[in-house]
Amino acid sequence: MSANKVTVRLTVNGKDYVREVEPRYLLADFLRHELHLTGTHIGCEHGVCGACTVLINGKTGRSCLQFAAALDGAEITTVEGIAGDGPLHPVQEAFHETHALQCGYCTPGFLMTTIEFLAQNPDPDRDEIRQALTNNMCRCTGYLNIIDAVEDAAKRLREGGRKA
Amino acid sequence: MKAIEDFTLVGKTILRREDSYLMRGKAQFLDDLPEPKGLIHIAFVLSPYARADILSVDASAARALPGVIDVLTGKDFVDDIKLFAPVIEIGGYRPVGRPVVAGDRVNFVGEYVAVILAESPYVAQDALDLVEVNYNPLPSVAGIKDALKPDAPVLHDHLGDNLIFKSAFETEGFAERFAEGDVVLEEEFQLGRVTGVMIEPRGCMACPDPIATNVTLWTPTQIPHIVRTAIADHLDIAESILRVVTPAVGGGFGTKAHVYPDELIVVALARRLGRAVKWVQDRREELLTNAHAREHILKIRVAAKNDGEISAVHLDVRTNCGAYPNHPYSPTLEATAAVRMMPGPYRIRNYKYDVCSVTTNTAPTGAYRGTGQPSAFLAIEGMMDRIGRRLGLDPAEVRRRNVIRPEEFPYVNVVGVRYDTGSYLPSLERGLEMIGYDAFRAAQPKDRLVDGKYRGIGICNYTEVSGTGAPGWRVRGFAKMPGFDSSRVVVEPDGKVTVYVSQADAGQGHYTTFAQLAADRLGVDWADVMVVEGDTSKTPYGTGTFASRGSVVGGGTVIRCSEKVGVKIRRIAGYMLNADPERLVLRDGRVFDPADAERRLTLREVAETAYSMNNLGLPQGEEHGLEATDYYDPPMVTMANGTHVVQVAVDPEDGRIEIERYAVVHDCGRVINPKIVEGQVHGATVQGIGEALMEEIVYDAEGQHLNANLLDYLLPTAMDVPDLELSHIETPSIDTVAGIKGAAEGGLTGAVPALANAVGDALSGLGVKITRVPLRPSYVFEQIRKARAAGEGRT
Repeated sequence: MSANKVTVRLTVNGKDYVREVEPRYLLADFLRHELHLTGTHIGCEHGVCGACTVLINGKTGRSCLQFAAALDGAEITTVEGIAGDGPLHPVQEAFHETHALQCGYCTPGFLMTTIEFLAQNPDPDRDEIRQALTNNMCRCTGYLNIIDAVEDAAKRLREGGRKA
Repeated sequence: MKAIEDFTLVGKTILRREDSYLMRGKAQFLDDLPEPKGLIHIAFVLSPYARADILSVDASAARALPGVIDVLTGKDFVDDIKLFAPVIEIGGYRPVGRPVVAGDRVNFVGEYVAVILAESPYVAQDALDLVEVNYNPLPSVAGIKDALKPDAPVLHDHLGDNLIFKSAFETEGFAERFAEGDVVLEEEFQLGRVTGVMIEPRGCMACPDPIATNVTLWTPTQIPHIVRTAIADHLDIAESILRVVTPAVGGGFGTKAHVYPDELIVVALARRLGRAVKWVQDRREELLTNAHAREHILKIRVAAKNDGEISAVHLDVRTNCGAYPNHPYSPTLEATAAVRMMPGPYRIRNYKYDVCSVTTNTAPTGAYRGTGQPSAFLAIEGMMDRIGRRLGLDPAEVRRRNVIRPEEFPYVNVVGVRYDTGSYLPSLERGLEMIGYDAFRAAQPKDRLVDGKYRGIGICNYTEVSGTGAPGWRVRGFAKMPGFDSSRVVVEPDGKVTVYVSQADAGQGHYTTFAQLAADRLGVDWADVMVVEGDTSKTPYGTGTFASRGSVVGGGTVIRCSEKVGVKIRRIAGYMLNADPERLVLRDGRVFDPADAERRLTLREVAETAYSMNNLGLPQGEEHGLEATDYYDPPMVTMANGTHVVQVAVDPEDGRIEIERYAVVHDCGRVINPKIVEGQVHGATVQGIGEALMEEIVYDAEGQHLNANLLDYLLPTAMDVPDLELSHIETPSIDTVAGIKGAAEGGLTGAVPALANAVGDALSGLGVKITRVPLRPSYVFEQIRKARAAGEGRT
């Protein structure tokens, strides 16, 4: 199968990893099957659903559309890196309290999108939130509680991580 | 069963315990499970043809690829897997079986033709392109009407034609009653083919037990026990050697409430090879091969009096079965649902239906949220508006004149379904009030044109079948659908509680709500109740989580079972305290006599006695342990209800539909956890918006699937969703445990007809009739263009 493996170095959630993988190995598979960070989910493998969204050098990207080898040296943040085992991140708290997840399969992608979005736009209106969330698909919630969660998370973050 | 009025936790929003591990990325969905050593990854070669003979399969190049273990075809499974077929016992159904991997004929695009076994998923994918299949394409047929033509290609020779199911029903004196109507209206409605599109596609992994002949199947299913029974049947193995476990399930929606050929294949291979075997579906396969739903044609004829009262209804429903009947429901599922649910909340006493299902060279159709009900209500609710237009009556008034009124409950409808309680009229009135219906109508111009857009209102008043029990399945021919669900409630030696439920959560929050119910009945902290589901080796047998069963049947059995344990707790505590068990109360983790502060124990102290962990002994005749098992078979069906009222604006320049206001009134009887019910209503309503406005699986006339990806199969995004105005009415059932009714499907059932009617109202001034969904802009624009051209032609 794979005579020509390449060396890939990635910093994931602050930890450095070095692995030998095929050049065609997807970032999503690298995270999930080489590093066993299975919180990043694969929903469509053609870049539409957003379940596999991670932060690549601080910006959201589809881990199902990128080769790990092409990102050699990059810094990646996955859902496991948001809060680890510690207290929930304000965005996670907001999702929990507004019931913004049901099956939870798409949720890691939504969390990454929301964290990036609120860093860029700390005080969005609902239309701006809707627009930002088109990055991701959810089939359970009908999005309404996710929109509420993002509104709520923005408030928490503006107030230094605590709810008013 | 009488409603219980002393609830302490039921009706309260408790935030879900599931959220923490889901949001930290710690949940284990199928492809997240640790992989056993020696795991074989499989992939399927899919048929590119809708109908063809397989002349030969040359897998030599694939087999030569390093990492490929083997390539198997249909003949390799004939010996250990029987023809796959559901057991349906209803007049007019003609059985058809399906090879789990095609033999010498394929009947739909996506049918499994060969199986690659490889050491890695990448290699398995590489090998797919190396298998050379020599096909002889044959004439094929995709649509219902084409499949019914006398010269249509026949899929299954032994049937002689493509009619796999046909049934009819007629009330006494139907023709006379129909003739008594002052007006007769007729319409043909159509619903596009859709599917669940869970964000997690399917997959499964079978792991043989190295020290026994047992196999564990991991599969994200809504029906683990039914999967086990079906696999044992078709592989001819004992149910006791197969364990079916659901990992975390990334959405179900009915699509995951089937048994699929791949589940049989991985178990057969794991047994044969003594190695674990895993398959993960990709999105293309999900859209090509998972159970589709809808694609219904409904012809409806209604006779009505001049005052709008319906005299009689004749409904003719045709559904597309696809190439083979799905397991375990067959196409009769949606077909019989549509004709049996049509009377809905209305007083329709004279009714005739004809229904059939047709085999075609398309993917099998099956269950999807709403099952038959969006179709039934698209037809009858569409006719309510048409009656209004014909007779010059307000469409809301037509509904008022036909709706079953509060004083008529309990009511038995024309096909024998009992409605124990309901809020059909109050729900309608509240929906109209929320949207400001009268004011909108008063201001609405006859041509519906306001600020350059056509604006209209649509109503759907619906009933929602939930929690179907054994009689409800038997009457529709589902011979192997148990109907009951079960639970085992254990108070452990430390006084903490474990609840085992026969169901399988796919995001509905069972781990929280079932804990809530047991905690409520046992008087303990809900955080001290663990819930175990989705494992046939741990829970007693049951039907599963689909068709709005979770709260009615799962919730019902947990309440009953907890109360059974409560009786034993009181008996043992009564013995320990020398008190009358009947007087003892369970609350705050204690058992006590409210009238005597001296007589109190902790639940743990009672448990220690039950488990012989002290010197107190048990009362005479009492067994050790502190648990109970309960099997709850609910009534035939339990009817929830609701009303959707929606206001839309249609842009004549591009045919786009904007939802301007959306009111939902929802009555699911006793609510367990309001926030979770709200989530179900939101989710279902938005899936309904998808089905009404954009979603459709498109086949060409020959059965080529044209949009097996998420760029072309459109799902609603956050931009497509309006803020919903929600109102709850709580009319408890008098037939179910605690008055619970189901909540998961009504949102979808209400949305499809309400949106179609709103667009129909908006375009009624133009003379455009809306008879189908989805209402994509291109279709709506074309209708407007044609109507305007015809209008100009006339003037």
